[in-house]
Amino acid sequence: MANTKPSNMAKSKPSSSKPSSKPGSKPGSKPSGLGEKKRTGKPRKAKEEVKTSREKQGPKKKRRTYTEKELGIPTLNMITPAGVQKPSGKKKGKVFVDDPDSLQTILAMVNAEKEGQIESKMTKARHMEEIREARRKEAEARHESKRSKLEETKGELKRQKKRPSESDSVKPEGEDSQARGKAKKRVSFG
Amino acid sequence: MRPLTESETQTLFTKLANYTGRSLTNLITETITTPNSKTPDRHVFRIQGCRVYYVRESIANLATSVARDNLLSLGTCIGKFTKTGKFRLHVTALDIIAPHARYKVWVKPNGEMPFLYGGNVLKAHVGRWSEDCPEHQGVVVMAMNDTPLVSRSSRSGFLGNGY
Repeated sequence: MANTKPSNMAKSKPSSSKPSSKPGSKPGSKPSGLGEKKRTGKPRKAKEEVKTSREKQGPKKKRRTYTEKELGIPTLNMITPAGVQKPSGKKKGKVFVDDPDSLQTILAMVNAEKEGQIESKMTKARHMEEIREARRKEAEARHESKRSKLEETKGELKRQKKRPSESDSVKPEGEDSQARGKAKKRVSFG
Repeated sequence: MRPLTESETQTLFTKLANYTGRSLTNLITETITTPNSKTPDRHVFRIQGCRVYYVRESIANLATSVARDNLLSLGTCIGKFTKTGKFRLHVTALDIIAPHARYKVWVKPNGEMPFLYGGNVLKAHVGRWSEDCPEHQGVVVMAMNDTPLVSRSSRSGFLGNGY
């Protein structure tokens, strides 16, 4: 019996309170060596019962872990902000563009943009050229009108200069008419 | 050494398109038949450090066996990305750009040296030039024997007085 005691004690340590809680044990009885000996039979049975019940249940079931989506926790209350979180299963770091098709698409975009810019520049240049041409024509017309005016005034002046000479020449004309009235002088060498 | 990302490719193409226009497509699709390989080889853009290289794909694939720190350069250097993300062309890119250039200006021999020493291209020095060249457009300046001298933008100061 002395041999069994320590082993018994060691085994029954976790369930040491059980025998006292059993309905058969007397409440308030003082613990003594004899009392313990008597009680040793009953806890064994209880222990076996516990063991069997555990064996029936099998290994301890894992508690189900809920994902954040299932719990429906608002994203703003999370530790990581909503924007920072990266989708799992995607490539880390930079995404390279190396295949000719994607290069062509990027190139087409760039080309369209550049073409638009060049086209707008060309239309602007053409428009400016038109305006310049119109201005040049206007200036030319103004210059022409100025010159014609000048010519006109010149001609007028010339005419004005000519008139007095004509008036001077009128007098001799009158004389001539008078002279014409007279008989022509004739010289005869006869 | 690595391929370019999408934003980097866009920046590079925008810069190159200033000078080449639509024919930039040829740079990507151009292939070379080599005797060793069965399939024709194409050219690709690769970035090493901040510099961008235009290199044959087979060479670029071989270069992956060299550590980044040990690889100095490969292919033809096109230019470099600045720390602010802009792209700056290097003069080595001239040989690649010049055949595909949209607008060109040919400078007479008497205007070559003044231009190469930093002077403007004077009206008197222009031998011929591409028609319908708009203002502030990227052009390639060439000698009369079709040797590319430099690529610049056709701003008013660049082409002397009257242009």
